[in-house]
Amino acid sequence: MINAFLVFNGQGQPRLTKFYTQLDTSIQQRLISEIFTLVSNRPAGSCNFLPLPPLLAASSTSNTSASADEQNDVPSLVTYRNYATLYFIIISTSTESPLALIDLIQVYVEALDRLFENVCELDLIFNFEALHATLGEMIAGGVVIETNLERIVAGVRAQGAVAKRPVNEGRGGGGGGGLGAGLGMGGMVWHGR
Amino acid sequence: MDIKATALLKLVYLEMVGHDMSWASFHVLEVMSSQKYHQKRVGYLAAVQSFRPDTDVLMMATNLLKKDVAASLPTIIALPISALPHIVTPSLAMSLLGDLLPRLSHSHAAIRKKTVVTLYRLALVYPEALRASWPKIKERLMDPDEDPSVTAAIVNVVCELGWRRPRDFLPLAPRLFELLVDGGNNWMAIKLIKLFAVLTPLEPRLVRKLLPPLTNLIRTTPAMSLLYECINGIIQGGILGEGEDFSAREEVASLCVNKLRGMVAGNSDPNLKYVALLAFNRIVVTHPFLVAQQEDVILECIDSEDITIRIKALDLVQGMVSSDNVVSIVGRLMRQLKASSAALNQETNGSDDLDEANSDDETGAGAAERRRTLDRAPPLPENYTVDVIGRILRMCSQNNYANILDFDWYIDILSQLVRIAPPPRIKDSDADSTGSRYPTDISENIGNELRNVAVKVKAVRAGAVRAAELVVSRMASDISPSRPVVLGALKPVAWMVGEYASQLLSADDTLRYLLDIAPRVGDPEVLATALQAIVKLFAYVAGDDSVLWTRERKSSVSLLMARVIHVLEPFASHPYLEVQERAVEFIELLRLTAEAAAGQAPSTDEMQQDPPLLLTQAIPSLFSGWELNSVAVGTQQNVPLPDDLDLDEPIHADLGRLLAQADSLMLPAPGDDEFDSYYNQRPAATSISSGPAISRLKDAPEEVSSSYQHTEESYLDPDIIARRKAERMERYRDDPFYIPDSTMSPPGGRSTPIHSILQRENGRDLDIDSIPIMQLDLDKLSPPGRATPAGRQQPAAPKPRSHQRVVVVAADETIPGSGVSTPRAYDSENNASDSFLGKGKKPASAAAAAAASTSKRLKQQSLLQITATNLADLTLDESASPANDPLAHERQQREEAEMAQALREVQRLRLEMQRANERIQVAQGVPVEGVVVSSKKKQKKKTTTTTAATTTTTGTKPGTKKKASGKKSGGDGAGEGGEGAGGESASAAAAEGAEAGAVKAKKKTTKKKAESSSAAAADVAAAGSGEAAAPVKTKKKKAKRVVQLDDGAEGGSAP
Repeated sequence: MINAFLVFNGQGQPRLTKFYTQLDTSIQQRLISEIFTLVSNRPAGSCNFLPLPPLLAASSTSNTSASADEQNDVPSLVTYRNYATLYFIIISTSTESPLALIDLIQVYVEALDRLFENVCELDLIFNFEALHATLGEMIAGGVVIETNLERIVAGVRAQGAVAKRPVNEGRGGGGGGGLGAGLGMGGMVWHGR
Repeated sequence: MDIKATALLKLVYLEMVGHDMSWASFHVLEVMSSQKYHQKRVGYLAAVQSFRPDTDVLMMATNLLKKDVAASLPTIIALPISALPHIVTPSLAMSLLGDLLPRLSHSHAAIRKKTVVTLYRLALVYPEALRASWPKIKERLMDPDEDPSVTAAIVNVVCELGWRRPRDFLPLAPRLFELLVDGGNNWMAIKLIKLFAVLTPLEPRLVRKLLPPLTNLIRTTPAMSLLYECINGIIQGGILGEGEDFSAREEVASLCVNKLRGMVAGNSDPNLKYVALLAFNRIVVTHPFLVAQQEDVILECIDSEDITIRIKALDLVQGMVSSDNVVSIVGRLMRQLKASSAALNQETNGSDDLDEANSDDETGAGAAERRRTLDRAPPLPENYTVDVIGRILRMCSQNNYANILDFDWYIDILSQLVRIAPPPRIKDSDADSTGSRYPTDISENIGNELRNVAVKVKAVRAGAVRAAELVVSRMASDISPSRPVVLGALKPVAWMVGEYASQLLSADDTLRYLLDIAPRVGDPEVLATALQAIVKLFAYVAGDDSVLWTRERKSSVSLLMARVIHVLEPFASHPYLEVQERAVEFIELLRLTAEAAAGQAPSTDEMQQDPPLLLTQAIPSLFSGWELNSVAVGTQQNVPLPDDLDLDEPIHADLGRLLAQADSLMLPAPGDDEFDSYYNQRPAATSISSGPAISRLKDAPEEVSSSYQHTEESYLDPDIIARRKAERMERYRDDPFYIPDSTMSPPGGRSTPIHSILQRENGRDLDIDSIPIMQLDLDKLSPPGRATPAGRQQPAAPKPRSHQRVVVVAADETIPGSGVSTPRAYDSENNASDSFLGKGKKPASAAAAAAASTSKRLKQQSLLQITATNLADLTLDESASPANDPLAHERQQREEAEMAQALREVQRLRLEMQRANERIQVAQGVPVEGVVVSSKKKQKKKTTTTTAATTTTTGTKPGTKKKASGKKSGGDGAGEGGEGAGGESASAAAAEGAEAGAVKAKKKTTKKKAESSSAAAADVAAAGSGEAAAPVKTKKKKAKRVVQLDDGAEGGSAP
């Protein structure tokens, strides 16, 4: 199953975090920063799979002798994909197919692109509820439920997530709705730390 | 509310950035319960992102969730359904299961597929959910008209469940196969193949069926992911290994391997490289020869700049290493390490002096590491370095060094590795997670390897020892004496220089180095070893028999002794006991020797003087003796127990008393004296030593031992001591590692100067020039043809430099354990594993470790992992009834409730019966002799008539009412008669002949009582007889009522 789906930008600022198990906020942050360190040090042209970050490796390597069944439960695969300024990460168990996960990220990005028409990082900041909605159409509880682009987009549209906040027009101008602006501010301020 | 929702949305964003929002959980709940969809959605999002297992408001959300699941708008339904997997708890799962099940047949496909997944997550925490929902899910899966995306979602779930309990899903195979063959969805096909890979081991017939479509897919599919998974499925499903059709199998195998090779080779997509290596890793376990053919491309990957690929390639290489390729593989790895450490050294201090830079790097752990982490662009991450070193060691040492042909090369590698090895992590607060990963310092492992080689391979012992010597000297030449020495390799290395002092190039220098290092050693265990090594070295340096006892020698020896004592002295109060003990022992011993040496006049021209025997004989004899060999793990327990030794027999019949005596009397008096005189009154002892040394010599060593042994013996009676000695002798008679008392031992046992023998045998024929070289020139080293094919135990090593030499790798010594010879049953497991020990491997410890780690693992599980252990306990027999009854779960619940109710009823009735019995007993207390039965009967009737009248009317009503009325009549204090009548009237028709007799007797007693209380006339004999049946019936009825109740319950649940 899929254990977590993360999106962050080139500076390691999270844009979307979805953990399919309950985790403390601090541990989430630690994991994100560890993965970011790994990702940002990758040379160009290397493969889309990361070695396990220390936080995960500590728990999985110590029990190499565990039975196969248990190993199937351990998150052991970190797949990432880089689009412009954004990194998309999937942490999953070994029961998922690595190549298929790469495709899954591709589908997700394409869906976003379809929803936002030429998506960029700013869209994600101002519209992060839509990110969650899109993800929710694809993955539920760590299990992939839909890989068809059309259906995903239709599902999100049915929820009205994107139509509700017409920030697309305001993109680039930095404006947008009041809510979006507020969020953006919040994001900037706290990212500055 | 709108403002609140907006604020919450912002809060969620902040939470994502890392700010805790658990304080707002109640507000989350509030927004969740909003009527407006967009607010509700924000609430649910917040819940998903911020609720944790300990969030207590969750309990309040149950009703809200129930309501939303049952909502009419599909968008609203979707909210709780997709939120549930994140927040579910067992109790929540239980209460929501009933609401979720109907959603499986919702008209919207989106709802259906989300429900399926949610039910799966529910089942993980609450297995019963699966039992209830499985039939429905199966129905959905089997339905060919089902929306394909729902089918795909179900397949995903089935796949997740599949590897947990594959057996349950075998019956689905036909349908799944159908889906695989004509389903167009790649993602689903991948999942199906994965599922089949789990199923095939259980059902071999599937293989034949699967092979055609899989090979077809491999040949035709354009999707790499599907192609890869097909190959992977073939590997994992054991399809390669099974089947009678050899040629077909061969074909598939070569097809797969060729495809994989295509993925790895050349400048293809790195992702494909990675997954192909993954697949090779799986194949190598079962088909190493197939992978070995691809060695060239795999080795390419080791040098890839991508660490992930490198690590995978390393995994693979470790599996396919052999004596033919070990040199080249290790060479590649060494080049990598070398390059990275060179880069590191350059940045550490710009000095070109390699030696200095290296040593600085090794000991200056903290600084180097800090700099490294600051730099943020290490040539190779430390983890990786450690990993690679560990792999090199494992590759080389596996199968008792079967892969190594040239041990000189290996020693070179090892001494190089000691330099490269990153310093051990300093264990501080934040190392909790990382520290556990490398419990032992990698450099200690390297040192251990070096030591193993020295012990096991006599032929290269000299070389190994010299390597150790170099390590020590480099460590000592570290410029900063104040810094603690952290190199873990010191421990085994120090042992080596001590044990094989005779093979050192310069024992004097090494001793000096060790003395320099010792005060800076941090780890007490290392320190203990170092102390021992110091004294061993001293014994070798100073205890040379052949050199004349000249003035110069006298002064140098005493200086040396003074130096050693000076170094040791601080350790006499070391907090670590082992260190303290050794230090104290050696200090005392050396002081004695110092006195002896001082007393011995140096030989002059006219008079020949021998050096003090204590120096030349006694101390060296402490350390020489039998050669130490490597012993397999666990062999100790295999040492046979002599037949005549009974461990259960008390050592002395009255040991307790003796000990008590010793405690109270003996110890204080002689013990104190001895200790005092020995430890505190040293000046007195000095006076003794002014006599000729030879006179003291006889007892000098014994005196040393006496300080430790006699005290023990002083409180034991002589006969006990004698017996103990005899027992000990007996026990160790067969143990080669026990150094017996010289008086008892067979000739040739003791102080053989074994090193001199060794030296004669194999030491000198090594050319001294071949001291381990710092710069490894592997290219030069590796090519020399290994002309001689290597045998396992006695590989003939083609020596690149000098002459041919036969290298013997000593196997671990073991005692072949037969169950009989080891009556010491520590535990059955150890004994069982003994049989393996003959092979010199360590399965026992490995198995134990595995068991331990699994058990530990059950407790601590990894981050992000979900528990599903309880799911495994669930039995999902679909052949059984639940499969037919979609509402099995509800029915079961209802049954349980009814059962509880029935039990309560039974309890109540029993209580009533008991009460009635008590009343009877009271009545019986009254004298009743001579009473006529008939009169009593009549009496009874009278009491009952009133109540009977009331109850008969109600009694005719249906069963449930009956119960109530019966209860009532009992309650209104009419007595057992009334009760009986109430019940009886209802079922008057049921008269049981057989039991009637027995019950009648009881009835008689009741009658008697009734009679005694009231003196009524015997006017109704006939009535009495009629009544006689009544109590019987009540009895019957009570039983029957319960039965009826159950029937009713079941009847009620049936609809």
